[in-house]
Amino acid sequence: MDNKGLSLTGGPYWLVLVLVSSLLLCKNVASVPTCPRGAVNCEVPLGELFDRAVVLSDYLHKLSSEMFREFNKQYAQERRFITRAINGCHTSSIPTPEDKEQAQNMPHEDLLNLILRVLRSWNEPLYHLVTEVRAMREASDTQKALGTQETFAMQEALSTQEALTTQEALTTQEALSMQEALRTQGTPNDILSRAIEIEDRNKQLLEGMEKIINQVQHGVRRNEAPSPWLGLQFLQKADEDTRLFALYGLIHCLRRDSHKIDNYLKVLKCRIIYDSNC
Amino acid sequence: MSNSSAVSSRTQPPSWPELPLAISSKPVLPAIIALGPAIPAVLNRASQSLQIVNPGPLTNSSGRPQFTKCRSPELETFSCYWTDGVHHGFGSPGAVQLFYIRRNTQEWTQEWKECPDYVSAGENSCYFNASYTSIWVPYCIKLTNNGGTVDQKCFSVEEIVQPDPPTGLNWTLLNTSLTGIHADIQVRWEPPSNADVQKGWIVLEYELQYKEINETQWKMMDPVLSTSVPVYSLRLDKEYEVRVRCRQRNSEKYGEFSEVLYVTLPQMSPVPCEEDFRFPWFLIIIFGMFGLTVIFLFVFSKQQRIKMLLLPPVPVPKIKGIDPDLFKEGKLEEVNTILAIHDNYKPEFYNDDSWVEFIELDIDDPDEKTEGSDTDRLLSHDHQKLLNILGAKDDDSGRTSCYDPDILEADFQASDVGDGTSEVAQPQRLKGEADLLCLDMKNQNNPPGRDAPPAAGEPGVILAEESKARPLPLSETESAPHAAHAPLHSPSPLANIDFYAQVSDITPAGSVVLSPGQRNKAGIPQCDAHPEVASLCQPNFITDSAYFCEADAKKCIPVAPHVEVAARGEPSFNQEDIYITTESLTTTAPRAGTAGPAPGSAMPVPDYTSIHIVQSPQGLVLNATALPRPDKEFLSSCGYVSTDQLNNIMP
Repeated sequence: MDNKGLSLTGGPYWLVLVLVSSLLLCKNVASVPTCPRGAVNCEVPLGELFDRAVVLSDYLHKLSSEMFREFNKQYAQERRFITRAINGCHTSSIPTPEDKEQAQNMPHEDLLNLILRVLRSWNEPLYHLVTEVRAMREASDTQKALGTQETFAMQEALSTQEALTTQEALTTQEALSMQEALRTQGTPNDILSRAIEIEDRNKQLLEGMEKIINQVQHGVRRNEAPSPWLGLQFLQKADEDTRLFALYGLIHCLRRDSHKIDNYLKVLKCRIIYDSNC
Repeated sequence: MSNSSAVSSRTQPPSWPELPLAISSKPVLPAIIALGPAIPAVLNRASQSLQIVNPGPLTNSSGRPQFTKCRSPELETFSCYWTDGVHHGFGSPGAVQLFYIRRNTQEWTQEWKECPDYVSAGENSCYFNASYTSIWVPYCIKLTNNGGTVDQKCFSVEEIVQPDPPTGLNWTLLNTSLTGIHADIQVRWEPPSNADVQKGWIVLEYELQYKEINETQWKMMDPVLSTSVPVYSLRLDKEYEVRVRCRQRNSEKYGEFSEVLYVTLPQMSPVPCEEDFRFPWFLIIIFGMFGLTVIFLFVFSKQQRIKMLLLPPVPVPKIKGIDPDLFKEGKLEEVNTILAIHDNYKPEFYNDDSWVEFIELDIDDPDEKTEGSDTDRLLSHDHQKLLNILGAKDDDSGRTSCYDPDILEADFQASDVGDGTSEVAQPQRLKGEADLLCLDMKNQNNPPGRDAPPAAGEPGVILAEESKARPLPLSETESAPHAAHAPLHSPSPLANIDFYAQVSDITPAGSVVLSPGQRNKAGIPQCDAHPEVASLCQPNFITDSAYFCEADAKKCIPVAPHVEVAARGEPSFNQEDIYITTESLTTTAPRAGTAGPAPGSAMPVPDYTSIHIVQSPQGLVLNATALPRPDKEFLSSCGYVSTDQLNNIMP
């Protein structure tokens, strides 16, 4: 595909820059349905917003999966952190639909707000994840002579993040094409870079979700409290095992929640935009 | 039970409900905090009994029932499968049970529940329908055999998704190539029926594989999200197999392959084109032989033309506009003509190399001398002729130059004028010529023409680039025959002794003043009739020396040189038109006096001397040659040593 040309480092970032600016400034760009200059009550079409949100959520899920896979490969192999079943996520307190039926029965606004709440809940953990992973990488850098595996794992986790950022604020067509490009291009193979990317994308998805909610709810906002994350103390423990275990749990939960959000958004998109006929 | 004790080779894990219960005591806090540091210890023990979700193929070496895999095809239901262990005759084969437990929000359910459906998924399976399936919820299952846990597994449903294969594969022809050899097809399929793609509940990506029927390796295409892909460049005369499989988006595990689709492309061209690449041996042989024949023909051919064509000779240096053959054949006249035409080449004539080349012994070539010396030409007034005369092969044989102080005088007088006006120069030239002619055995072949004095910039000392170059005759041409001509007709040997003469001066009029050479010895007596000049200069000084020193010249022409110099404007070089020695005048002067009485060998002046500076085009400055001076007598006034003297010096 000629989209592969976009897989060069310069292309996607430049495109994102243009489109983000166009989205935020509501400039009248031909390819992107945006607000005309100076308009007060203009709205990007909902379908457009959903397309972009879906692209973002899909990318977030992809990065999270990759990060988890790499982390597992690098850190958990010897330690056998096979405790997913026991591990609860801090967002478990938020009542989310757990199967298709529940998801279909839930009204749009509720589901959207749920998504928003979950996304908000992840702001802080992601920030600490990045900090911790960065600290771990720096620590492992100093231990390079000892041949630690952490550096490689961190790098791999980081790389996933970078791929996420480029999918933000794109039209459907461009979003899909960017998806293809991102898939073909080498996503960052660094845990730290992936973590950073996920953090950024999460914020952007949050903004997109707020926009969607504004349109769907016509400005009615529910300020529901995000679920608190209390795992910071474990991330900062001196014991490396504890830290790694906490990190493992966090990344595992991140993968799960990103899949959840991705699923919800796709269901909503099919429901709202395509009338359940994707 | 004995079975369980014998079978279970591992430490019994803590009963699962205990752990969740401990967590549930603090429902607000996440489990990880509640357990705190106890978690790693607990987990370390627990982990050993836990299996990774859907690990690689399990080896049922121990004979116990084991979970093989758990799978959800559409993210709405899931099933778990196990192998029935080989019972080594211990107990009944039945009584294998599956229990599950799942975590609700933050709590685990209190107890293990048994599998709701052992039948729907087949034997040794447990099927969980939609009501029992919760996504994004951790499950744990355990397999019990007669009450004893034989295997456990924990997972989430979204992690075990493996869709069913796509259905409804078909293909359509897109287009065929112009050559009728290749074609493109579009393959379409439907997602698995149980996957709810329409509502967006599950997103699938597909991978298509195809190959020729008789091939073994499948060709894979990149995963796509759409349900149709084009396959390009299939050969029309081959049959292909196509199959598709799918997986959940961002997952790792693919589902099973679909049924194979057979693609038989229509035969477009009645005559199947042989596209196989056969090495064109025939053509290679033909052309190779042809080429070799040609090569051998040319290389060994006697024909020079063909050889030249095939193997051209290395180009020789070439001067633009001049045929190099001229140099080979020695046609210096023509070369000079050409060179003279181009003003650019004039300065070349005054470089040292030419002069050096020009100066060569003519002892060995008596024949050339008969053809006329260049000195004659130098003194001739015929400019045109001078230009044309280069080689000895010219017809101006018999010319001689006259090494006479009169010449100097004449030239200097001419130079007094400052410019070469014919009126002024001519009488002087006439006089000079007369003086010249007195020593001259000019042939009448080159009647002197009263040509206009050459421009100052064209003294006529043009040197050919050939080694045989001789100084061109200057603008000073031979004057019209006068009474002076009478004495001209002296025996030619006199005129022809000296082929090469040094130009001692070049007047502004363009006339050249030659330094007296060996011929002086023969021709001097005739010129003694010129008292006005002779009185001024020492005859001895002139007779034997071939060159003038500026001191001597000064004696001869007391006034002119200075004026001449002034006209030149280069006081640093006195009389730059004459040879200037590096020695001072003072040093030479007394020597000149002392060297006066020596007859024949008073003034040793070298015939050849190196040139210090070429004041193009006006004159030359010669270096005083550093010669051994064993005898002061032989010192010339200028430090020059003639060849005779040199021979005397060095036996």
